[in-house]
Amino acid sequence: MLGYILRRTLSTIPVMAMVGLFVFSLLYIAPGDPAAVIAGDQASPEDIARIRANLGLDRPFLVQFGEWGWRTLHADLGTSIFTGLPVTQMIGQRIEPTLSLMVLTLIFAIVVSVPMGVVAAWKAGTWIDRGIMTFAVLGFSVPVFVIGYVLAYVFALQLDWFPVQGYTPITQGLGPWLGNLVLPALSLGCVYIALIARITRASMLEVLAQDYVRTAKAKGLGQKDVLFLHALKNAAVPIVTVIGIGIALLIGGAVVTESVFAIPGLGRLTVDAILRRDYPVIQGVVLLFSFVYVLVNLVIDILYTFLDPRIRY
Amino acid sequence: MALLEVENLQVHFRTPVGVNRAVDGVSFHVNEGETLAIVGESGCGKSVTSMSLLRLIPEPPGKIAGAIRFGGKDLLALSEKEMRAIRGNDISMIFQEPMTSLNPVLTVGRQIGETLRLHQGLDAKAAEDKAVEMLTLVGIPAPARRVREYPHQLSGGMRQRVMIAIALACNPKLLIADEPTTALDVTIQAQILDLMRDLKQRVGAAIVLITHDLGVVAEVAERVMVMYAGRKVEEAPVRELFANPRHPYTQGLLGAVPKLGSSLTQESSRLAEIPGQVPSLTRPIVGCVFAGRCAIATDICRAYAPALEPKGPRHAAACHYALKEAAAA
Repeated sequence: MLGYILRRTLSTIPVMAMVGLFVFSLLYIAPGDPAAVIAGDQASPEDIARIRANLGLDRPFLVQFGEWGWRTLHADLGTSIFTGLPVTQMIGQRIEPTLSLMVLTLIFAIVVSVPMGVVAAWKAGTWIDRGIMTFAVLGFSVPVFVIGYVLAYVFALQLDWFPVQGYTPITQGLGPWLGNLVLPALSLGCVYIALIARITRASMLEVLAQDYVRTAKAKGLGQKDVLFLHALKNAAVPIVTVIGIGIALLIGGAVVTESVFAIPGLGRLTVDAILRRDYPVIQGVVLLFSFVYVLVNLVIDILYTFLDPRIRY
Repeated sequence: MALLEVENLQVHFRTPVGVNRAVDGVSFHVNEGETLAIVGESGCGKSVTSMSLLRLIPEPPGKIAGAIRFGGKDLLALSEKEMRAIRGNDISMIFQEPMTSLNPVLTVGRQIGETLRLHQGLDAKAAEDKAVEMLTLVGIPAPARRVREYPHQLSGGMRQRVMIAIALACNPKLLIADEPTTALDVTIQAQILDLMRDLKQRVGAAIVLITHDLGVVAEVAERVMVMYAGRKVEEAPVRELFANPRHPYTQGLLGAVPKLGSSLTQESSRLAEIPGQVPSLTRPIVGCVFAGRCAIATDICRAYAPALEPKGPRHAAACHYALKEAAAA
């Protein structure tokens, strides 16, 4: 078990290296010359060349990549071209709202979607099942920003239950923090809920037809134990997998959600950085998101072995 | 008094092509400590009968009617909650497929202990101790280690032993064994049958044994009920049935069993087969259910269903032509 965890953890290193190479190549793939952007409209070719030399952009690709990689390993993501601040500092300032939003959405989505899928599978073919699945299709089809604006209109503007937009740090109290995040988490969670509920239903349907579910009933277990213990644990692997894959949805959705609800998080930072061609910031944010994604899926791979004792690598 | 009395049991399933009368008017009883075998070929309704005893038939599309009295209580009148208190406690069940009937993600000890915690209120520690005890009882070596293992770490025979341990954990009065040895190797089959016979003596539970294997019937059963197309066609004590089968279907079943010492080259010792197949149960059957495959069927058989009539001491068969005494046949 320990050996597996170690091997699996080590295997993320080449993955992260590939991600690093890709992220660094962004600079070369993307159109536009950062040196020209920094220099401004009035700059002469000599000015641009000088800036390029200062940034190290005139050196060979691999040398630049090596240096960048080395610095990155030491938690130095460079400085923003636009603000001149270290990228790590900029990310540090923006990470709390995004992390709060993502964790809250994740918890909320799992707590809602898994029971939904289980009930839908249990009541398969009835109006309860159809109702849940209709909601799931809706949740998956309507874009995050539409749901966001509708929720903000109804619950913030009309009913005045929650603030329309903005963010309150958790240090200023749990209530205000949560109040600001409820609507964003709801709108971001819809797609995720739909995805997890559908997979949960499909996976549970398969498991509920198995002989051991009949055995569990023959033992005299109640419906709750049969569904949530005997069946769900067997159905868990695909569900946990899709939760991990869905983190990507969450990251993409967070960028949009933060714009809709004016949350000063990493999503906004990313959008701003892209508009300004602030490459070090873009690189830093993309690298961070990739790292989170790889980390989550590492945890999930390790979780498999706890969920299903037959899984050994 | 009989421990279990089943009266006019009907189990019907709604299907897109019509109502499937899987079990249609079957009555039988099981005395305390007795072993009743229910035999018949695939699709004759024997498994459905056993599942309906515990009300494990999904309703809908299924529907159970008639009466199932266990210790005087009509199980069909109980609430789901009252029924749950009986399942795994007073009546428990062993299934055909030991490979798939155990939950692959829970330890063996957990699965045995579960019924004990549920029905006898044992705590986790006591349940595990009892699980070890049960594994010892069913002859699993190194039980203290095995309780912590998962089903995939056990062989087929071992898993069936675990199933038996689960079923017997709460000292049930009635054990329903649905083809308990069908999926096992012949040598393991013999071991499991020995174990069941041995435990029956010790625990004193009555057994309803569902099987299509007449060899198994001869070894463990005291009384036999033969089912065909959802009806009971013959019932007799085991020796009587093997010696004087009255119903042509039972005779066919016995004729299809190879006998030791017979050779395949002798024309006379060729295995007899029953031509044709079980009729569709979604259409009402007029006359005798077996008429379509019966060698001695006449117009009477195709027009009127024969009633189950006594054909000897504790022997009954549903056939117009099954005579009272074997000598006459």
